[in-house]
Order: sequence, then C-alpha cells, then structure tokens
Amino acid sequence: MKRLEGKFNSFLYAVCALWLFGFVALPFLAVLAISFLSRGYSDFVEPVFTIQNYLQIFDFVYLKVFLSSTYLALLTSLLCILVAYPFAYFLARSNERAQAIGLALVMIPFWTSSLIRSYALIAILKTNGFLNQLLIKLGLIDSPLSILYTDWAVMIGMVYTLLPFAILPIFSSVQGLSKNLLEASQDLGATAFQSFQRVILPLTSPGVMGAFLLTFFPALGLFFIPDLLGGAKTLVLGAAIRDQFLMNRNWPLGSALSVLLTLGMFLLLAFNSWVKKRVQAPEEEGAF
Amino acid sequence: MKVFLCFIFLLLSPTLFCERLVIFNWTEYLPSEVIRDFEKETGIEVKLSSYESNEAMYTKLKILRSKGYDLVIPSTYFVEKMIKEGMLQKLDHEKLPNIRHLLPRLTGLPFDVKNDFSMPYLWGTTVLSYNSEKIKETPDSWKVLWKSDYKNQVLVLEDMRETFSIALKSLGYSSNSSSPTEIREAYDKLLKLKENVRLFSSEAPKQAFINQEVTLGMTMSGDLKVIQEENPGIAAIYPKEGFTIWLDSMVIPKGASNPQAAHRFINYVLRPEVSLKIALELGYSTVNKESLNLKAAAQMKENPLMNPSEEVLQRGEFLTDVGRSLLVYEDLWQRLKVE
Amino acid sequence: MKGLRLVYMGSVLCFLYIPIFILVLFSFNKATFSTDWEGFSLQWYTKLFQNQDLLEVTLNSLWLAISSASLSTVFSAVLAILFFRFRLPAQSFLKGTLYSLLMAPDLVLGISLLILFLAIGLDLGYLSLLIAHITFCIPFCFLTIAARMQSFDPSILEAALDLGASQFQTYTRILFPILKPALLSAWMLAFTLSMDDVIVSFFVSGPSYEVLPLKIYSMVRFGVKPEVNALCSLLLLMTLVLLFLSHRLINSKEVR
Repeated sequence: MKRLEGKFNSFLYAVCALWLFGFVALPFLAVLAISFLSRGYSDFVEPVFTIQNYLQIFDFVYLKVFLSSTYLALLTSLLCILVAYPFAYFLARSNERAQAIGLALVMIPFWTSSLIRSYALIAILKTNGFLNQLLIKLGLIDSPLSILYTDWAVMIGMVYTLLPFAILPIFSSVQGLSKNLLEASQDLGATAFQSFQRVILPLTSPGVMGAFLLTFFPALGLFFIPDLLGGAKTLVLGAAIRDQFLMNRNWPLGSALSVLLTLGMFLLLAFNSWVKKRVQAPEEEGAF
Repeated sequence: MKVFLCFIFLLLSPTLFCERLVIFNWTEYLPSEVIRDFEKETGIEVKLSSYESNEAMYTKLKILRSKGYDLVIPSTYFVEKMIKEGMLQKLDHEKLPNIRHLLPRLTGLPFDVKNDFSMPYLWGTTVLSYNSEKIKETPDSWKVLWKSDYKNQVLVLEDMRETFSIALKSLGYSSNSSSPTEIREAYDKLLKLKENVRLFSSEAPKQAFINQEVTLGMTMSGDLKVIQEENPGIAAIYPKEGFTIWLDSMVIPKGASNPQAAHRFINYVLRPEVSLKIALELGYSTVNKESLNLKAAAQMKENPLMNPSEEVLQRGEFLTDVGRSLLVYEDLWQRLKVE
Repeated sequence: MKGLRLVYMGSVLCFLYIPIFILVLFSFNKATFSTDWEGFSLQWYTKLFQNQDLLEVTLNSLWLAISSASLSTVFSAVLAILFFRFRLPAQSFLKGTLYSLLMAPDLVLGISLLILFLAIGLDLGYLSLLIAHITFCIPFCFLTIAARMQSFDPSILEAALDLGASQFQTYTRILFPILKPALLSAWMLAFTLSMDDVIVSFFVSGPSYEVLPLKIYSMVRFGVKPEVNALCSLLLLMTLVLLFLSHRLINSKEVR
C-alpha cells in the first residue's frame, strides 16, 4: 500500500481525522477529566481535583448499582443466548428459502424502534393486561399477577428487545460451519450430543460471544426499559448515570460511572479477541 | 416526492411564520382547551414541553443556560433557587393588569416578596389516597403507609422533596429541615417504606390507582379528579401530622426569546374564568379570588380537595429552598433509589 | 424432530410478534383505556393527523435522519476509500477510535457530546443533534462500505490516474458507481438508526428542535394510549417499507 498522496486526499483525511478526534476522542477525554473534579452547588462542575467520585462508587451504594445492573444484564444476555441459540441453529440448518424468510422475520424487529417494542409490552404485562387476562381465562391463575413495575417486567422487556441481536451473530457463525464437520464427527462415532458439545459449540463460540456482547452492554445502558416497565425501583446503571446528569447534577460522579462502564466494555472486548484467537488458532494449525 | 414535500410545507406553513411561545410545564398541567383558546385569541402558536420533576426542569434549564423556553412553571422552592441564581427575568407588572384578581395570601410570599419574578399559576396539596374498597378503616396519618399489610401496594411520588416530606412529617419534623441528622432519620424511615413501595411515579399515579396496581399512596390533590372519574372507590385524606401545600408559579427564564408572548399568556391565565377553567379541569385549587365567585365554581367550593378549609390548611406547610442541604437530600435520594 | 424445530422457531417468532400485533390491532380500537375490543375505528389516526405538534416533530426527525444519513454516508465513504487505498498516518489511532465508537454505549456518547457542546458554548438544537447523529452513524456506515470494498481492485484507480484523471474524477466516475449498493445500504442503516435514536438525542436535544422518539418517550410514560398505538403502527409501517425498498434496491443492483 502506498503512502497518502494528493492534496485533495490529504484534505479529506484531515477533515475525517479532525471530526473523529473532535467529536469522539476529545469528548471522552472531557468525561475522563470531569470524573476527577468536584460537583458544584449552582454549577455542574467545580474545578477542584478529587478522586472522591471513584471512591464513592466503591462505597457500598454505587457498587450495588453496578453489581445489580451487571447481574440483570448477565441474566438478560444468558436468557437471550439460551433462546436464540436453538433458533439460530435450526434456522441455519434449514433450506435456503426458509432461511431467507426466517432471517427477514428476525430482522424486522431488529430494525424497529426498541422504544415502540417496549411500549407494546406494557399493555400485555399490566395487571388488567392481556397476559393476565389470558392466564385467568385459561384457569392457570386465580388473581392477576403483578408483573408490571417489577424486575421481572424489566427482564422480559430487555430480552424481548435484545433477542434479535442475539440471534443474528449466532446464526452467522452456525452458517459458517462446514457441513462436513458434523458428518466427520458422526463417522468417527460421536453421538449427536457429543458432536454438539465438542465440535459445534466450540466452533460457534465466536458467535455466542458476539451475541453476548451485543446483548450485555445494551442491557446495562438501555435506561428507558426499566423506566417504562420497572416502576423506577429498579435502578439500572444507565438510569443511574442519566440521573446524575439530568437530575442530580452530579456530573463528576456520572462521568466516573461512565468511565468505569467504558473501561469494563474494553476489558470484555479484549477478552473477546482473546477467545477468538484461541478458537481460530487450532483451525489454522491445520486440524481440519 | 416534490409534490408530497410541498403539501407538507403548506400544511405547516401557518405554523412556520407565526409568533411562538415555548412553554415548559409539568406533564398534563395545562388543558389543551386553554391553549387553543389562547392561540385563537392572540394568534400566537404555543409549543409545550414537559417535565416530571422540579429537579429535571432545573437541570434542563441550567444545561440550556436559561435559553430556549419562554415560560416555565416551577414550584415555590425552585423559584426561590432560580431567583437566587439569576436564571429568571423580571416581570413587567404593567403588562399584567390581571394581577389584581389574585388571592392576596398567594402574593408577596417570602421567596418573591414583590412578585418581581413569578406569578401564581395553580396551587394544591399532597394528600394520602387510598382504595376505600380494600381499606375499610379510614386512615388519618402518613404512618399507615408503613404498615406491613401493604407490602408492594404503595405509590410514592417521584419527587425528592415531597417524599422526604412525608417521612419528616411522620417523625414530627418540618418538611424544610436542613438538619443533616433529621434528614438522615427521614432517609432511614424511607428505606423501611421502600419495602412497601410498588412504584415511584409522578406521571402515572392516576393509571396506577385506576388499574389497581396500588392500594394507597401519595398523590397530588388534583389527581383524585381523574382517578375518581374512572374508579370512584378511591378516596383521599389530609394526614393529621401535616402535608405539603405547594404553589406552582409562572416564571420567564432570562434567555427567553419571546418574553412579550409570555407576558400575554400570564395575563391571560390570570383571568378569573381561565384560572377557574384550569383548576376545574385539572382538579387543583385556583389562585384567583374572583374565580370562587363564578357560577361554575359552585361544585368546587364544596370539594375539600379543591377548596380546603382554613382549619385544614393550618396543618399544611409550604416547601422552601433548603440551600446547601439540598445536596444532602439529593445524595440520600439517590441512595434510596439504589438500596 | 423436524416438528419440534418448527414449534420452537414458531414460538420464538410468536413471542417477538404478538406484542407488536396487539399494538397495531388496538390502534383501531374504539375504546380509550380498556383492553376490551369495542369496535373498529380510525379515530386515533385522524386525531394523529390533526396534531400539528406531532406532525412538526415527525418532520424534524425525518429531516434530521435524511441529513445525518447523507452526511455520515459521505464521510464514511471517504474514510473507507482512503483506508483502502493508502497507508495513512495515525491510522491505528483512527481505527481504534472508530471501533470504540461502534462499541461504545449510546449513553456514554450522549453525555460526552453534551459536555463538549456545553464547554464550547453550542446551543442544543438542530446542529447539536446533527453532529451527534452523524457521529454515531459513522462506524456502521463505514463497516458497510468497507465490506464492499474488499472485492474491489485498486489498480483500476491507478490506471485511471495514469490516463490523466484527477483524484476527484476517479472517485466520482469510477468508485462511486461501483459502491452505489453499499452506499445505499449504509444510508438506509444510518437513516433508521437516526429515526429510532432515543438515548443520544435525550442528552443533546433542545426545545428548538424536538424529535419524534423523545416525544413518543414522554407520551409513553403515561401508560397505554391508542393515539400512541396509532403513531407507533405508522412508524412500524414506515420501517417495513424502508426495509422492503432497501432489499429490492440492493438486490436489483447486484444483478449485472
């Protein structure tokens, strides 16, 4: 590849680089900087250096937010993956026409506004909503379940919103599997379950990892779902950060929380690359 | 495509070229009929944005550097804070002849002695509502919310000062306490209350009561009007330890782009019949002394929620700015949400 | 075994679609609050079209989506081409920034831009929204276009340059026609992302330029209202139409 040449090209590159620096890198540095300042009484930030914000996070209260949000997000991710995997697997193994239809059907919710879809759940989950009415009609329960405004509603809402995000990466990774692999393992005497456990699962782990990443982080940040379905008792990390900025005016604390969230994200991404390398390396060593 | 765009442009052109008034108000706190009548009379187009709490309103205004909105309707203690921080502009009383209709006891209040910056809009109280079909014995105190019988059945407002107030009052303190020990005690009490709380909300309490998601809780006096229309079994009382009386006022932010239109709107709202219309529609109490004499006010005068007696009002307390101890409240409020 | 597969896939699809179905169905319900069907009615749709405020906000969102999608597609195309042709100074830093932008939670993006705008004194309104929307669309557009470029032979551009074409001409006359399907995909993707964005817009929008998702958000916090159902149904329809169009456009271009 040659080096950058041409005035026009250099100009274009400069514009792009400046934009990315000015509107991505710089703002994030600002967030980092603010996380080390103090909150003001009538202003948002007072230029007094402190690490109090980070200390405050490790104080029990905010640690709890982190932990409970992470727990909720983990559960959401897990549930999404558990439901998505068989679906994606079956879909990838069906004929081309079914695949096209199935994929289209999954893409549509993927493209629709998640806000609208969360709203659609309210009518279903509320005390005199459709789910309760159905359950009562079927005689499965006597009095309506209060699902709305609980952690369960938030979880259902998250899984509902994020499921397509889990299906797609797993689907694409199963699709990439060579059909010969399964046949080969069966020829070698493995049972269906063993083939699955030892061949398919490890080879589709990048897809699973992708599904995890695409569901875990949104689950931490999507504050409107607990807002609509959770009755404001469930404080997700995203809502906590939003509150610091738009209600409490504790921008330094909000910034510190954001920095930690971003750091966590990078760590997970690094872990993901490591997993990917481990999966691809044996392949490259000519095992198959 | 071009035809379509032209069509849309024509559809909106009346709005593009006329004068605008941008109002920032509590959600569903201004009847659309009043807005339409005002628009028809003056030709000024009204745009409405809403907030759920004073804190959110204040933060948004701070972020916008007091620009972007022509009229805002904060509660007393925030008017106080905003005046102190220079976020508001002075009102021109010459443009507001209808001031003379205001109830004397609502003007000249300590936070804005000469009403230089604010004009009363609506006032009301925060009461204890309960489902009389499920709760046979009429409650008389905030303490009933803490009873273990009501696990997961209580509604609490998404309002820091108001919610702290019920705890402070139940401990015998003032709603405007700036003592960190007292505030902390209130916080501990609220922590216990949280076991009973189903939902923190200032916007959806009406739905929560109508749909029977909650059995009892805090509500604004006006909410009862909507609630009782759909579910007459819901009643309300004024707790004996006390409750908050609040007043929402109209103010004009310093950076408003159309203060003239804002003045016209304020003067319009101060008309007795308009003030009464707003109060009746929303279920709150009118700030206008003439309104009570109008024929339409007959039913309202009998309603203790819309027209509480002097005796009852003695037990009520206005919320005032608590200065720097606001930070103590805010910190504990965040902790409450999290634990 | 096949039956079980179908049942499973069917149930997942039902789970995904039933709430949407109910949402659309009840936008035609006569009743206001109840969950009982009280007859077919188009009243909520007519009410919607009479709502000036809502129409204005929708147009705002549409214009914002169109402008940010277009600008972000151009930006990403330029960047993709440059990356593809040359070894650029500080390219790993730039690639890193793009990658972090892709992965970063909308929340962090929103607040970091809010802080920036406040610091430089930019009033929140159309411009702040535009900058924010362009920025978060860039990584998605970039990936879409870069993927298409993998199968392209750069020597054609060199040949054109040798024959006397200017840099600008090689871009407009050679690259652009070839990249058209990718550009279209990128544009559609960016358009949809912009129309649906709640979180970033939440932080960087001001009263002078209100956008639809935020309006819906504040309406939705009240509970279920048929008017909102009608609005949501229309938006769902728009998404479907767009998806269909993009599918047709891409497929027709691929056939040569």
